[in-house]
Amino acid sequence: MKNIRFKILMSLTLLVLCLGACKDKEYAIPTALDKLQNDLIKRSLGPNIVGGTIEFAYAAAILPEKGKLSSMTVEASIAGATGTYLDNRFFNTSSSGADVGTAVGDPSVTTGKSTSVTYTGNFSAATLRYFYKIPEEARGKTVTFTFTAKSSNGETISYQSGPHEIRNQDMVLDLVAKDGTECYLSIADMKMYDAAFATANPGKIDLIYLYRAPANVTYLHSLVAPTADASYKPTFTMPAGLSNRTKIVKAFTVRDQQLSRIQYGVFVDDVDLRTKDFADAPDFAINVKAEGGVWVQTADGVYNAYVYINTVTNTASVKEMKISIKRLKIK
Amino acid sequence: MKRILLIQLILVLLVVVSCKKDYPMDDDGLLITKRADCYVSNFELLGADFQTVRTKAATIDTTAQTINVEVLFGTDLKNLYPQFTLVVDAVLDPKIVGKVDFSDLSKPKEWTVVSGNRKVRKTYKVFLTVKQ
Repeated sequence: MKNIRFKILMSLTLLVLCLGACKDKEYAIPTALDKLQNDLIKRSLGPNIVGGTIEFAYAAAILPEKGKLSSMTVEASIAGATGTYLDNRFFNTSSSGADVGTAVGDPSVTTGKSTSVTYTGNFSAATLRYFYKIPEEARGKTVTFTFTAKSSNGETISYQSGPHEIRNQDMVLDLVAKDGTECYLSIADMKMYDAAFATANPGKIDLIYLYRAPANVTYLHSLVAPTADASYKPTFTMPAGLSNRTKIVKAFTVRDQQLSRIQYGVFVDDVDLRTKDFADAPDFAINVKAEGGVWVQTADGVYNAYVYINTVTNTASVKEMKISIKRLKIK
Repeated sequence: MKRILLIQLILVLLVVVSCKKDYPMDDDGLLITKRADCYVSNFELLGADFQTVRTKAATIDTTAQTINVEVLFGTDLKNLYPQFTLVVDAVLDPKIVGKVDFSDLSKPKEWTVVSGNRKVRKTYKVFLTVKQ
């Protein structure tokens, strides 16, 4: 009898649980807080590199009957380089998908570490974009940001972001290597040079860009070290004195987003450059292709770099390659 | 009480039976089957960028147990990744665990294919030539 009672009780409990679980909760529009509110997202992805930009979108809002926004300020722990600004516009998306900006006040004013926009219109909600140009002083350090919004009723609210680590690597975009002229690449300088410079500074030349189209084999766009076997430098007269045996490892799917600026979410970070294995690496990379690249270690072992190939051109009159480089000093 | 004991006994027997191995396994946890077939059906060779370095399909001679591959001019022969496709249940010895140095073209690399029953072993030689 006791057992039956227990079973009945358990069944009832289950039934109640089931009914409770099936109850529909009607959606209700949340009631907005009557205080000044804010929120932040970081828009830029990937390693933070000196000379690059960290981008945020900072939003603040207050109930219209309580007041309006009066200013937004961003304070960085390390002052941004020239080009740091807080956009004075918020954006809507038009029916065609384009961003349409609406100014909330005059362009931002940067004083030392602080960048601010003063609202001149009647806005109770807006999202402004902040672009922090990473300065040389921040290399290898961390940087934090304090976003602050003020409203006309005297309220102030802040949002902290960071610490954000600034990498040690350097980056250069869109160098143009030209077969026969500016075909000498210096990793230390991150520049292309011509034969006259190479002759005067043979120790600086790490790679030579060549375009050849021999009859029997595929050579096309190639990057070779000065020490590469003569067969890998066909019909090329190298200036005297070039002797760097640069180590080269071909790569194909490393489409770093910061170098390529295309859709792939791949980033070459300091740790990738530092830990890349160059044991038994050759001193030539024949037939490299657009969206491919080469990992490079300079002959003196001072730099590891990744050279991404943005585009290649081989028309009747133009044989060239556009490259972008990430480089890390490891010694 | 007796009935419960009987049920428990049946359960234990079921567990023991279900754990019984039907086939023996090798050291890698792979099934040793009854298949005696032993050959390479396809061969691929990738460069450091994990792209093929072949100029054309490899020629596999299952009688002579040789694989002939022509690679592109400018291939880095010290850092290549061979990939074998074998007949069902067969395994390769030694295993390929990383890049392989093919730079000494006079000494072809050798791999042994072991059949599914692990009783037939055939050693293949891989000959590389560089397109010139």
